[in-house]
Amino acid sequence: MADQLISDGRVLYLYGITQSKPRDVPKLIGVDRFAPIEAVECEGIFCWISRVSALDFEKNLAANMENLDWLAETSVAHQRVISAISRLTEILPTRFATVFRSEASLCKHIAKRARGLKQDFERVKGADEWGVKVFTIQPAPLAMPTARSGKDYLKAKAARLPSRKPKSIQRDEIIKFEQALADVAIETAPAGNVSRGQRGLSFQTSLLVKRTQRKKLESVLENFAAEWKRERRIECTGPWPPYSFVSRPDDTVRSK
Amino acid sequence: MSATTNAVIFTGDDPSDAMTLLDILDHVLNQGVVLRGNLIISLAGVDLVYLGLDVILTSVETALRHVNASALLPGK
Repeated sequence: MADQLISDGRVLYLYGITQSKPRDVPKLIGVDRFAPIEAVECEGIFCWISRVSALDFEKNLAANMENLDWLAETSVAHQRVISAISRLTEILPTRFATVFRSEASLCKHIAKRARGLKQDFERVKGADEWGVKVFTIQPAPLAMPTARSGKDYLKAKAARLPSRKPKSIQRDEIIKFEQALADVAIETAPAGNVSRGQRGLSFQTSLLVKRTQRKKLESVLENFAAEWKRERRIECTGPWPPYSFVSRPDDTVRSK
Repeated sequence: MSATTNAVIFTGDDPSDAMTLLDILDHVLNQGVVLRGNLIISLAGVDLVYLGLDVILTSVETALRHVNASALLPGK
């Protein structure tokens, strides 16, 4: 097929790639909440795409990315598609907003990367991504009693503050936790480009964990949670498709 | 359902779980296979957007936290 702009201003939005095509794929709708998902085969690899407006996903993409409503709806739709496919077969999710102009161009890029992609499939085989966050528990804001003097006020305020362990001990506890998670995981990756500003967040990571190790992960989390009861809260999300474990060092974008 | 066992909050195992938008963006925008497509601007654009996103989203997320987030169900 000629490497030209797909007629009627459509481009191919790529969600992810798989090594097999499951027989019963449920009907899925793409990021534009309209076009259906299709599987395009390139050299024995299946590329899951939908045909989207070139205007929205090419010309105006940068502006759309700054529109929080658009970004929220589109990224949730992106996640839904990948998550649905990941329930059926192993998927390497593509980076958000990866768009190709034609099937020929898509296949050309897949062919160029075929070897690396095969290694990635091996690496994430039988594993899921999990997100772990640790929050320092904030004392509940209580109304201050009426104090007769400044000294009374400060005394009352001090009584309400939780006793704090020295920073170095707190850091050691987090390092111990990080190590325990790393022991369960195949790999860990830094997480939270977006949520690093969340209040009270003191540690976060993404883990690639074999499905057979899931119980082990849960018990590590539960043990630390029990130990930290009043100091910290642990939140765990997953299983996610392996978003954070499929990019390679040579993927760095050089062009501007 | 989100389950709280021994103070760990687990979310996401059941399709009815409402992942927060912040969690979804954290993972969805974290990486993924980078194929250089024809449109390098799409990738550069994403990187630029990261810069201010954490600040905006954290405040949005706080506002959304108690709203029924059924629109944000993953994998449905």
